[in-house]
Amino acid sequence: MWSGGGRGGGRSVVDEDQKLDRSQTRVVLIRSIKMAGEFRRTAALAMFYVVITVLCALAGPVLVRHGIDSGINAKDARVLNMTVIAYLVVVAIAYVIGRLQYVSLNSAGEGFLRLLRIRVFTQMQRQSMAFFDREKAGVLVARMTADVESMSELVQWGLMQFLSSFLLLFFAFFLLLSMSWQLTLISLIVFPFLIAASVKFQRDSSRAYLEVREKVGANLSALQEGITGVRVIQAYAREDEQIRRFKESNRELFRSHLYSVKVSTWYFGLIEFAGIASSALIVGLGGILVHRGSVSLGTVVAFVLLLATLFDPVQQLSQLYNTLQSAAASLHKLFAIIDAQPDVVESIQPISLPATGDVVVDSITFAYAGSNKPALDSVSVVLDSGTRLALVGPTGAGKSTLAKLMARLYDPQEGSVSFGGVNLRDASMEDLRRRIVVIPQEGFLFDGSVRDNLLIAKPDATEAELLGALDRLGLRERFESLPEGLDTEVRERGSRLSAGERQLVALSRAALVDPAVLVLDEATSNLDPGTEMLIEAALEKLMVGRSVIVVAHRLSTVQRADKIAVVADARISEIGTHDELIALDGHYALLAATWNKSQPH
Amino acid sequence: MSKEPKGVTREGWRLLIATLKLQQRALIMGACVGLAWTLGKVSVPQLTKLAIDRGIEKNGSLLLWTMLILAAAVIAGFFAGWRRYIAFRESRLTETMLRERIFAQIQGLHVGYHDKAQTGQLMSRSSSDLQQVQGFVVNIPIFVSQITMVIGVVIILFISDPILAAVSLFPLPFINISARSFSHKIHPAVMAVQQEQAQLANIVEESVSGIRVVKGFGAEAVRQARLNIEADDIQRESMRAARIRSRFLPAIDLLPSLGLVAVLGLGGHRVINGEMSLGGLVAFNTYLTMLIWPMRNIGMTVAFAQRAASALLRVNEILSEVPAIADAVEPRKLPQAGLAQPVGAVSFNNVVFGYDIGHADLTVLNGLSLTIAPGESVAIVGATGSGKSTITRLLLRFYDPKSGSIELDGVDLRNLTLSDLRRAVGVVFEDTLLFNDTVSANIAFAKPEIEQEIVVRAAKLAGAHEFIMQLPQQYDTVLGERGFSLSGGQRQRIAIARAIVADSRVLVLDDATSAVDPTKEHEIRDALATVMRGRTTLVIAHRPATIELADRAVLLDDGVIAAVGTHQELLATNEKYREVLAAWSTPQVVE
Repeated sequence: MWSGGGRGGGRSVVDEDQKLDRSQTRVVLIRSIKMAGEFRRTAALAMFYVVITVLCALAGPVLVRHGIDSGINAKDARVLNMTVIAYLVVVAIAYVIGRLQYVSLNSAGEGFLRLLRIRVFTQMQRQSMAFFDREKAGVLVARMTADVESMSELVQWGLMQFLSSFLLLFFAFFLLLSMSWQLTLISLIVFPFLIAASVKFQRDSSRAYLEVREKVGANLSALQEGITGVRVIQAYAREDEQIRRFKESNRELFRSHLYSVKVSTWYFGLIEFAGIASSALIVGLGGILVHRGSVSLGTVVAFVLLLATLFDPVQQLSQLYNTLQSAAASLHKLFAIIDAQPDVVESIQPISLPATGDVVVDSITFAYAGSNKPALDSVSVVLDSGTRLALVGPTGAGKSTLAKLMARLYDPQEGSVSFGGVNLRDASMEDLRRRIVVIPQEGFLFDGSVRDNLLIAKPDATEAELLGALDRLGLRERFESLPEGLDTEVRERGSRLSAGERQLVALSRAALVDPAVLVLDEATSNLDPGTEMLIEAALEKLMVGRSVIVVAHRLSTVQRADKIAVVADARISEIGTHDELIALDGHYALLAATWNKSQPH
Repeated sequence: MSKEPKGVTREGWRLLIATLKLQQRALIMGACVGLAWTLGKVSVPQLTKLAIDRGIEKNGSLLLWTMLILAAAVIAGFFAGWRRYIAFRESRLTETMLRERIFAQIQGLHVGYHDKAQTGQLMSRSSSDLQQVQGFVVNIPIFVSQITMVIGVVIILFISDPILAAVSLFPLPFINISARSFSHKIHPAVMAVQQEQAQLANIVEESVSGIRVVKGFGAEAVRQARLNIEADDIQRESMRAARIRSRFLPAIDLLPSLGLVAVLGLGGHRVINGEMSLGGLVAFNTYLTMLIWPMRNIGMTVAFAQRAASALLRVNEILSEVPAIADAVEPRKLPQAGLAQPVGAVSFNNVVFGYDIGHADLTVLNGLSLTIAPGESVAIVGATGSGKSTITRLLLRFYDPKSGSIELDGVDLRNLTLSDLRRAVGVVFEDTLLFNDTVSANIAFAKPEIEQEIVVRAAKLAGAHEFIMQLPQQYDTVLGERGFSLSGGQRQRIAIARAIVADSRVLVLDDATSAVDPTKEHEIRDALATVMRGRTTLVIAHRPATIELADRAVLLDDGVIAAVGTHQELLATNEKYREVLAAWSTPQVVE
């Protein structure tokens, strides 16, 4: 990877867990609805189904009441039969609509999530390197996975449950009121307690949950450490100590689980109690009302039955409210990515780049986001077409940064970089990437075959072009000797290939693009000696006829360069040929002397 | 899932029962508490019935019945809470204890096992598989009380009105069957969704980590296309799961309503004909609603139990693995150091060794013999794959030789206890692992009780003190994956300090300075020279300067020692030696 320092800092657009306030939640909500525009019809249909299902659920107790009052108590068998038939019809409708409800709500929801995944990823990829320096890889992956997935529960059943619970309570209230306002008041007695208890429970348990989550994380990393570190642990005979430490973290996790049960135990007992107690109240106080003749017996029965169906929705509402809140928080974070403005923007009316040309760096100043010290301070340098420029200097002095700016991975804050007289800002990205190609230190491979990995540089390349590029580097045989040739799957991160072979893939990618300018970051560490020679040879062939900027770590590389620039303290302190710089007896001469010492005899 | 052969499944059940035996008493207690809940819960409809029939219709004492229902409410509420508490406590305990057993087992298993095992697999054995077990155990008390409740309610219903009971209970078994079948069908569908999600995560992860390649070649569109495929796959699989849900869930929700309809229709006529009281009808209704949730849950619990059993089978694969490298039955002690008797003599006698990589048995050491005198230092030089690091691993007894023997102070390594051996041999690996703990704890890894002064002295010797003092909390800075991250060279210096603290009679430096900045290397070289003085040391290195620290160098080629001498001698006389060194000597620019 690029060894350049000076990054970090900078305000992240994707801050960690934060609670949204009311207005933010509203903004998120409105935006989501707007974004879900193309699913509006399906969503509206789903909503309609939810309403029908709720009405069906409420129809049950109402029909029972009707059957009891007008059928059973009135000793009218015909009414009773009609009621039974009506009930059956309601059940049938509820079943059909229930199925439709699942499918339509899910198809709208999953469609929305798909859109979200694609949009966020598109926008993520449009960002410049600065964005990726700033954001941790793990966090970005979490946005695309955990944050999106946290909504899938909601999409699968949560939203539907929330809506139907809400509607059920809403309609039930009016229904109860229409049957008997006295009994409604009686049944409402327990609700304030229930709601207060639910709120307290939610608060306590979400705190407990955070604690559990933290402990789970610590436990998992202790576990992982024990597995990946098993060789060191055994080498130092520290197994017992490590087991003791793991037990500690494991027991802490257990305690946090226990705590989360403790804070919720009373609540579940209370819910159970409240459910039965409210029917006791209905029976007791309702009985008095029946005696007085102000309500019918059927109404009391309907109340007992209805109340039983209302406890679940209350519980569910409070639980789902939390889920909704965290979904809103996730959406908020995802929208932050969608909204992030790429700071390297493509020109709207691009000027096409010439096939070859000099790269001219004209007094550029550049600072990484969040750093007030410039990484490059009005640096100017010219890379003549077809020549090689080596950048040397201490870590963090800015040589990698300079190389990156020359490929427009970043834009300078002041000054300009141009190729063949065209400012890189005015060129199209596609054009630019064909002229100037960056080869990082380590060959990064994506899951897929070797061929896939080569074609990533030029997806529309023909087989002949591909083989031609490999031939030019003298690597065709090497790749074809892999178990399945170019179709060899490289597995996770190219684990089936050696580090050297991965680097060969990286070089071949560049050859496939056939650029005018190569930007090269030389590896600092040794690769396997076997492939080392092959890499050297391939690199040499790749560089022929191109302009090369190399961030050099090796004497041999530096000596082969036409010009050497010493980057120190954000500036170019010395520039010239090897001999000139040795004669200058400055920083470079000192470096060269240290090199010679670390050479083998 | 359910395709496993019968015998295997039975083994899974046996394991499940054996695991639960440990918590027998608490689980029985949970079941008893659950029964008490059942009693309270089942009495409610009876009491409600009596209240309606006697209290409301017949002007009896309303207060009495109301109070009785309230009393049942208290009982049901109290025991419901208690049952939940026991259920969660016990299930978490099962999970916790199993995880500790797995971890202890992992720590004791030989390195050969770990070479083959994947970290991710071991992790998921101890996390997601245990969650499956926990998910079942937590249901046990509820399961027991629900079973008894179902039985109790069914008996009550049949006693009070057999025909009505038969008709209204008819749909209930279908709930159970549907719930079970749903659980079986939805599980693979959910797994498929998760798998697609994992693939998408992989693509995102690659694109982010490989962003330089993506940006460097303008490959955004290629990656986008890959992602779109995965996003489509997730949607497709999710919709498949949704259709399974749509087939089962509304049915499971609505089946009980059919019983209620039957009660209303059939029971209504009976009330009209005076064969049944209205209270009886309401009670019937309430009982039926009470059965809905248990019937559903019983079906799911059976499916959970099956999943838990197969998870335990997987867990048991780890637990039943016998460590191939273990303490000797009658271990011998290492001789103590005395004035007249220096310690640290190492000898490899005709050692043959190869790693078991499935098919091909690759021989790495081919009858290697090497004797190192107490206090002597030897540099081992060889090309990649020549077996340099294998020597380290054999000396630590990570593996046993196929034939031949290795002795430390005259004792065969296999006759020592592992902890005696490993305390006697200190090692610095090339690829240094730091634990998620403070700098001090990482340095004092071998001897956690050691004084801070010694830790600091070791750090100074290893050339680590300076940068440690610049860390946010100096020696108390937490390192590791979740802590502060150090550069490769810094990590190696911490590891050298760790070896200094260990103060073992034999020290192995396995490419221990490879990541150290060449300008800083001379500092460490001095430190190493100090540490090596009077101590038997094996140095595996490529840099001539480091090799020169050793009293003599040996060239390892083709699994045997090809040449022995001082560095200068070998350089002067041995062509192969020069070749090997040249292959490694890509000079590094001082940064």
